[in-house]
Amino acid sequence: MSHVSDNDQNAALHPYHGVRILDMTYRYGSYAGRLFADLGAEVIRIEPPGGLPDRIEAERGGTGALARFMFFNASKKSLVLDLATQGGIDAFDELARGALAIFVERGGPMYDRIAHLRAVAPQAVVTAVSPFGMTGPLADAPASDLVIQAAGGIAWMSGRIEEAPLSLPFDQATMVASIYAATVTAIALVDTEATGAGHLIDVSAQECIAHSLQNAIQVWDLEQRVSMRGGEGTRDASEDIFPCKDGFVFLAAPLALGSSFKSLVGFMQDRGHPSGAKFAEPCWQDREWRLTREARDAFRAIFTDFTRDFDRETLTREAIARRIVMGPVSRVSDIFDDPQLAHRGFFRTMTVAGREIAFPGPPYKITPELWSVSPPPLRNGEQGE
Amino acid sequence: MKPQFLKGIRFTDLTWAGAGPFCTKIFSDFGADVIKIESTTRLDSVRTGGPFKDRKFGLNRSGYFASRNSGKKSVVLDVKSPMGREQVHDLIRNSDVVSNNFGPGAMDRMGLSYEDVRAIKPDIVYLSMPMYGESGPRAELLGVGMTISAVTGLMWSTGYCPGDPVGPGTHYPDHAANPYHAAFAVLAALRRRRLTGLGAKIDLSQVESTINFIGAEVVRCAMEGSDRPQTGNASDEAAPHGIYRCAGEDDWIAVTATTDDEWSRLARILGAGGLVGFVTAAERVSRREELDRMVSDWTAARDAQSAVAILRSEGVPAAVVASSRYLVEQDAQLAARDYWQRVEHPELGNSLYASPPYRIDGERVDLARPPLLGEHTREVLSTLLGRTEQELDDMERAGVFT
Repeated sequence: MSHVSDNDQNAALHPYHGVRILDMTYRYGSYAGRLFADLGAEVIRIEPPGGLPDRIEAERGGTGALARFMFFNASKKSLVLDLATQGGIDAFDELARGALAIFVERGGPMYDRIAHLRAVAPQAVVTAVSPFGMTGPLADAPASDLVIQAAGGIAWMSGRIEEAPLSLPFDQATMVASIYAATVTAIALVDTEATGAGHLIDVSAQECIAHSLQNAIQVWDLEQRVSMRGGEGTRDASEDIFPCKDGFVFLAAPLALGSSFKSLVGFMQDRGHPSGAKFAEPCWQDREWRLTREARDAFRAIFTDFTRDFDRETLTREAIARRIVMGPVSRVSDIFDDPQLAHRGFFRTMTVAGREIAFPGPPYKITPELWSVSPPPLRNGEQGE
Repeated sequence: MKPQFLKGIRFTDLTWAGAGPFCTKIFSDFGADVIKIESTTRLDSVRTGGPFKDRKFGLNRSGYFASRNSGKKSVVLDVKSPMGREQVHDLIRNSDVVSNNFGPGAMDRMGLSYEDVRAIKPDIVYLSMPMYGESGPRAELLGVGMTISAVTGLMWSTGYCPGDPVGPGTHYPDHAANPYHAAFAVLAALRRRRLTGLGAKIDLSQVESTINFIGAEVVRCAMEGSDRPQTGNASDEAAPHGIYRCAGEDDWIAVTATTDDEWSRLARILGAGGLVGFVTAAERVSRREELDRMVSDWTAARDAQSAVAILRSEGVPAAVVASSRYLVEQDAQLAARDYWQRVEHPELGNSLYASPPYRIDGERVDLARPPLLGEHTREVLSTLLGRTEQELDDMERAGVFT
C-alpha cells in the first residue's frame, strides 16, 4: 500500500479505496460486502446468468424480498459469469487475481471450489460463510435463519416463560453472521496487505449466534444456572415493557442502575400520584425480592397505574430531564419521525421504481464523512455508477 | 493459534460495561495492545455484575467481565487528577486508537474530547459510541441495551402476536450490532490512516447502528408505508416455520420449510404427503395454523434430538432450541469444531470462553486471560512511558492509582 500524496485527495480517500472484493454471498454473508462497499471498496457480486438466489427471490417474491435485496446489496456492482463454462471460469480467475477479498457462501458459487480459489488468488482473504461452518457433522445440514437462531441459543433466551421460545425478527442470524464475517475479514486484510499472504476464514453462523448470548455461557459455567427466557429469576421487576396512554415504554430502574429508581419515585411524588408512596415502601429496597414473580406483578400494577395518564413523548421528556432509564417502544414506522434521528440527518433517500424512499443511513459516522450509499444493482450484471 | 494480525496497534481504551469492551476485545484477541483504563472508585459495571466464580462476589471473579476483556491490560488511574490525566495523555501519545462508550459530554469533562486528544496525537482514531449520538433532543436519554431495542423498533417487532411486544430477552444490541459495527469502523479508519497518514473521528450512535441491523425491514416499511404485525416465530413467506414443543419438560425444536421441496419432504415425514391445498407457499402461509398443529402433534410425541435427527436426515431444516447448558454440554457440532475453550485465570480458575466464531486457516484463535483490576498499571507506565520506580511510588502515594 502506498501513501497518496496530494492533501485534498488524501482527505477524501475512502477507507477501502483500491480494494476489490468478489461477493458470491446471497443470505448469511450478504451484509458483510455491503459494509465494505459503503466505505469505498469495489464489491462485485458474481452472479450466474439467472442471478444469485437473493436476486431470484427479489424478482419473484413480494416487497419484503425486494427490500432485503436492496438493503444488502446497495453500493455493490453485479457481474454475470457462467462458471459452468471454461470462459466463465477464466474470466473469474482473472478477476480473482486482482481481488483482496472473496466472500463465498454455502450453496452459492465457488463454495465447493475453495482450493481452486486459494490457488488462483493466494493474495486474497477468502471468507466462507455457512450455517454451521465448513467442518463438523452439520457442515451440510439444512438450515434457515430461525433454525440457526435456535441452534445458536438466542431463541432460547427470548419470550415468555409460559410460552414457546421466541426468535428475533428480520433475519438476525444473517445480520450477526455477516457482521462477524466483515470484521474478521477486515482484520485478516491488515495482515494480508502487510505480508501478501491470503487467509481462509471459515465463519459459522451458529457460532456467531452462540457468541452473542450476553453472559449466558458464563452463568452456566460459573454458577450452573441456565439463563431463561423472560429473565425469569434474574431480571429486576422494573426492567420490562409497560403500557402507557398511546403505546408502551421500556423502563429499567433496578437499584444498581444509577438513580433511575429514585428519580422515578421522585417523578411520581412530584405529580402527587399514590404510586410514589407505594414504591417508597421498604420492600422495594430488597434487591433479591425484586427478582421474584411477586415483585414483578406488583411493580407492573403500581407503575402502570401511573403511566396510563401519560403518553410516550411526555414520559420520554421526563425520563431525559430526570435521568430515568426509560424510553418509548417504537414501531418501525415511528423511527422515520424520531426527532433525534431527524436532528442527526440519519435517513438517506433512495429512488426505487421512480419513487423516493427513506433508506437507513450509516451505522457509524466517520469524520471526515467517508460513508456513502448508492443504489443496488437491480438488473443482473448491472455495474452501478 | 495466537494471531498477531493487529500487532503494533495500541488502544487507550476507556470503554466499559458491555458493548464498548466487546468491541475492543476483538483487537486484543488479534494481537493489538489494548490498555484498559479503569477506576477503583467508578468500577466497570460488569466487574460487579456477575456471574461470579462459585457465586462469590469479587472484582476479578466476574465471568461477564472476563468474556468481554480477554487479552487486555488493566491500568488503574484517577483520570480526574492532574497526574492521572498526564499519564493518560502520555498513553494516548503512544496509541493509535482512543475508545470510549460514555454518554455525551463525559469525555469533554475529562479533557479528552476529540479536539483535546487530536492536539496530543494528530493522527488518532477516536471512537465514541454514545447511545443516541452526541447531540440532539434525545442525546441525553439514558439507556441500556434493551432501551436501544425499544427505540429502534426491534423490541416492538419481537412478539408473539400483534400489538403485544415482548422484545429480545437480552440486551441484544450490546452483543452484536454495536460492538462489531464499531470494530469495523475502527478497522476502516486504521486502513485509511495507513493509506493517508490521517486520523479520524468515529461517532457511532448505537441507535443508528442497531437500526441497520433491522435495515431490510426499515426499507420494506418505507416502501409499503406500514408496519408488519408481529407473528412470533412464523414467517410471511413460508410455512411451517416455527418452534414446536417436544416431549420433555421444556424441550423445543425449530422447524422450517422455506421451499416447496422442503415442504414435500416434511409432509412425507408428517404423513401429510397427499394433502391438497398446501401446494404453494401462499397456500401454506394462509393455513399456517393447521400446519403448525400437524407439526406440533408430530414433535410432541418425540424427544427433541430424535425429532431433529429425523428431519435433518430428510433434508428439512431443524434444530434443538439450545439452552446455554445444551450448547456447552451436548452440541456435537460446536464440540467437533472446538468452539469452547478453557483459559486459566488466578481467580476464575479454569473457566469457559466462547472462541471467536470462525476458524482461520483451519485453526481457532486462542484467547488470553482477562486482566485483574489494575494488574498492569506499574508495568505499562514503566515499560511504555518510562516512569521510574520512584515516580510510580509517588503516584501510588498520591492516590493516582485509584
